[in-house]
Amino acid sequence: MNFDARKYVIITFVVLVGLIYAMRIFYMQVMDDTWTLRAQEIAEKRKEITPPRGVLFDRNGKKIVSNRTYYNLMMVEADIKNLDTVAFAKLIGWTREEVRQRFIDIREGEGVYRNKHTGKTTPNYQKIRAYPFLKELTLDEIANIAPHLEDFPGFYEEVTSMRSYPFANGANIVGYLSEVNAEEVDADHFYKPGNNIGRAGLERYYEKELRGRKGIRYIVTSAMNNAIEPYADGKYDTTALQGPALKLGVDILLQAYGEKLLQNKRGCIVAIEPSTGEILALVSAPSYDPNLLIGKRNISTNYPKLLKDPNMPLLPRPLSSEYPPGSTFKLLNSLIGLQEGVITPESGFPCNKSVVGCHNHPSAGNLADAIKHSCNPYYYAVTRRIIQQGKKRSNFEDAEIGLNLWAKYMHSFGLGQKLETDITGLRAGSIPDAAYYDKWYGHHRWAFSTIRSISIGQGEVMLTPLHMANIAAIIANRGWYITPHFVKSIGKSGPLPEFRKKHYAMVESRHYATIVEGMRRVVHEPGGTGKRAQLKDIIVCGKTGTVQNPHGDDHSVFVAFAPMYKPKIAIAVFIENAKGGGGLWAAPTAGLMIEKYLTRKITEKEREKIILEANFVYK
Amino acid sequence: MRKNESLVAHLDWPLFIVYMILLIMGVATVYSTAFNEDHPNIFDFSQKYGKQIMWVGVSLFLGLMVFLIDSDIYRKFCVPIYLFTLVLLVIVLFMPAVNGAHAWLGIGSMGIQPAEFAKIGTGLLLARFISNVNVKQQNIQTVLLANAIILVPMALILLQPDAGTFVVFTSFLFVMYREGITYDPLILKMVNSIPGVKFKQTWVGSHFIPILFVVVFLSVVTLLMSNETLEFSWLGGLEIPGFWSVIIALTIFALIMFLILRFFSSRRDRNRATFVVLFGYILASGLATTVNYGFQGLATHQKDRIELFLGLKEDPDGDDYNRNRAMAAVGSGGFTGKGYNKASVSSVESNHVPESETDFIFCPFAEEWGFLGVFVLFGLYMFMLLRIIMIAERQRSAFNRIYAYTVAMILFYHFAINIGMNIGFAPVIGIPLPFFSYGGSSMMSFSMMMFILLKLDSQRRDVLQ
Repeated sequence: MNFDARKYVIITFVVLVGLIYAMRIFYMQVMDDTWTLRAQEIAEKRKEITPPRGVLFDRNGKKIVSNRTYYNLMMVEADIKNLDTVAFAKLIGWTREEVRQRFIDIREGEGVYRNKHTGKTTPNYQKIRAYPFLKELTLDEIANIAPHLEDFPGFYEEVTSMRSYPFANGANIVGYLSEVNAEEVDADHFYKPGNNIGRAGLERYYEKELRGRKGIRYIVTSAMNNAIEPYADGKYDTTALQGPALKLGVDILLQAYGEKLLQNKRGCIVAIEPSTGEILALVSAPSYDPNLLIGKRNISTNYPKLLKDPNMPLLPRPLSSEYPPGSTFKLLNSLIGLQEGVITPESGFPCNKSVVGCHNHPSAGNLADAIKHSCNPYYYAVTRRIIQQGKKRSNFEDAEIGLNLWAKYMHSFGLGQKLETDITGLRAGSIPDAAYYDKWYGHHRWAFSTIRSISIGQGEVMLTPLHMANIAAIIANRGWYITPHFVKSIGKSGPLPEFRKKHYAMVESRHYATIVEGMRRVVHEPGGTGKRAQLKDIIVCGKTGTVQNPHGDDHSVFVAFAPMYKPKIAIAVFIENAKGGGGLWAAPTAGLMIEKYLTRKITEKEREKIILEANFVYK
Repeated sequence: MRKNESLVAHLDWPLFIVYMILLIMGVATVYSTAFNEDHPNIFDFSQKYGKQIMWVGVSLFLGLMVFLIDSDIYRKFCVPIYLFTLVLLVIVLFMPAVNGAHAWLGIGSMGIQPAEFAKIGTGLLLARFISNVNVKQQNIQTVLLANAIILVPMALILLQPDAGTFVVFTSFLFVMYREGITYDPLILKMVNSIPGVKFKQTWVGSHFIPILFVVVFLSVVTLLMSNETLEFSWLGGLEIPGFWSVIIALTIFALIMFLILRFFSSRRDRNRATFVVLFGYILASGLATTVNYGFQGLATHQKDRIELFLGLKEDPDGDDYNRNRAMAAVGSGGFTGKGYNKASVSSVESNHVPESETDFIFCPFAEEWGFLGVFVLFGLYMFMLLRIIMIAERQRSAFNRIYAYTVAMILFYHFAINIGMNIGFAPVIGIPLPFFSYGGSSMMSFSMMMFILLKLDSQRRDVLQ
């Protein structure tokens, strides 16, 4: 038999394998970039250098958020030789079992390789790589460990930077940092697992500014993870840039004083500089020491405690809690009445307790006295005139028009909407309009008598303390406000453009004089409800409020500004469940804050003592 | 004088030149891969490139020696040579293990691997044996004897153990196939033992080796592709699932074969050729389908094993570390490569690809030279293999022809498995790339193999047989 033809079978195989291989390699090298990316992952390390975050200064140049050096105890398993577990556990103050468990956790949990396309994760622990064995050690802690590390090859220390809060105040303003989660890593390529991100407050709002710019060094690395050489001689490398410093309008000493005054109470103080809209203090009580939430170790122990605290220290009340404004709201109803021409400064209404309850005081013969006495029947009458202007024959249709007009006025005071303050956690509050009541009662099935509680700031009206302070600022400015804000400047730039713009309320400035005079009488005339806010050399203009609380003791509220002319500070104080009205607790607190800010000292020591000793939390 | 003249005149220059080019490319790649800044001189014998140059020198010297000896010696002394290599294979088993295998014979750093030389001994004896069998090839005794010649060294090599070389020995089956020594007598005996059946020949038995090769190759490729999706951006982002791309490739291949056979086969064979192509196409598609869907039905641990073996499982740093790194190195080369001495994944210094100067030398080459370089390299190897087959077919002596085929098939196996290892088409079983990989034994044995072939060829006219 002749088998010569079989050479073609063999030749076919040889050529076929060559062709198929060439096609495969062409696909791998030229058409598919998976392997190129994999090669970069393997051999070219992008070493990211995270710069320290931008620091925060208060209005007087005091550093209120800074960075501090911490240490990680790193571990490279391949370098560990004859580890004396007992001695090592003793050195770091752990038990042997804890040390052993930590090794297991690192092997299983660290360095997980995550495929970006499929989202699948596979363990990628490597003995030759460095992993943190202990994280975020303070200088004191590492000082005990570092000298003995020579006895434990495979362990070494590494420097890292974390936040530090020299003042321990304003936790709800500055917020805190914590490690990014997987979604955040996916959403923004800036972040790598283990990086920190602002979780609340200014840290979150100004995250993009504060985080700065990462430095990147490209290095060709070996399988032992040694750097071999800079990639392309460092051509693509960038240097790390710290985020710019933020200068705040906050006066940290005033903030600290406010937090002290509200100890053992639930409540808020918001102080604003009226002419600029800068927030001087934003006290949320109870608060917490921001140093409790530095780093993973602290957060894991302290955060759950803070979260479970029934007094909710993590809640930024001045921004997120909505309260009825109570009698402080009468100021606005007065202004709208004047602007609409339904009352004059000389209008008088009898204190007729049959329509709505009131306390004992002489009937107000003019508007300023009505403010001074905070007369409920007076404002029932005023608001009735605003709502029911008689533009339509039907009472219901008339009320609809009147209420919508009223709501429009209120919106122009920044109410019923989120102020564009540079912080997270803001709430809008609520200003009811016709559509709102239509939902409750039906179209044209309600009139002023149904909704009368809005005249004294109760019922459906809800404001945050920030709104209340802003009202004080508008009256102090006689008609306008700049959006309350924290940051005066970022780096070397001045105030942001949105914080230079004046927003005018719909009430003309000529109408404010009467209201301001009424507010003066509240504090400085006998019979005024806010006498306890009185100061010797400073004219304080204020308005008390007592918010009825169906769930417990009434809330005490006071809004004020001072001095009367060229005001420097506008303030709102809200104390929850204070036994007694606005004049009793909120007014003296506001007075102390104003004095502290304007004179830097406290003369009314007795008043201060009473406030400090008051306890409305623990009974 | 006459002898020297013939030496130059009858040397197959094309093959020799390709051989020399591959040697030079190999040394250049070893130099780039194992480059040590402290020893930049390529002739520095303390470095691998220096040593490689030394091995090349030794090999060329051995080649010269081969040329000075009359080629008749290989035919006459093939039995002693074979037995000598067997003895070496036995002795090596008593040597201390290096990397878990008793593969090295020698003192200190100067050692040889007898398994490399056993290929030559076996090839020579097989050539001698088959060339002495006359027409009665289809005979159980000859088939068994021919297989025994291969199986004895294979068994000894498996004892080392050296899986790579063991697999390479199956290349001799192709040589036997070419010479008509197949498993047909065994299958006939089985089939004809059934009463009433009387076959003279079975097609499957005759073509058992190529069929096995096709089945194994097609199965591996199908499994490999079953998890992949090919994306063709230049066809508007067309995505073809891996399995269907295999079927499409088979269809295209069948059509091409059909057309070729239609034009080139004689009228008499035309229908038979059409039938073979059609039948082959149906069987191949059926096999691919069975493998693809049969695989899905396997138990998880079996699947895992196969997937890991084929490099489909995502386990970048585990058992499949080598292949993953190697493929990353090759795949990152791009069209024109990263440039000489610029390999970032597969240089010895970075050490991401282990053995990148020996078994995985294709990695740094493909990474540095890209597809262009690979194309040239493939061209050279293809030329070399086809040239050897051509040389084989022009021999008057059956001994020469068979020996030439053993050389061609051994080189083909090394090429197919070594490159396949780098591109995920073959399991990682550590065998060198001929003339390219660093290493004295393989360099010397491949060179001797080549020079014996060149010598036999140069004297082909002297042989009457």
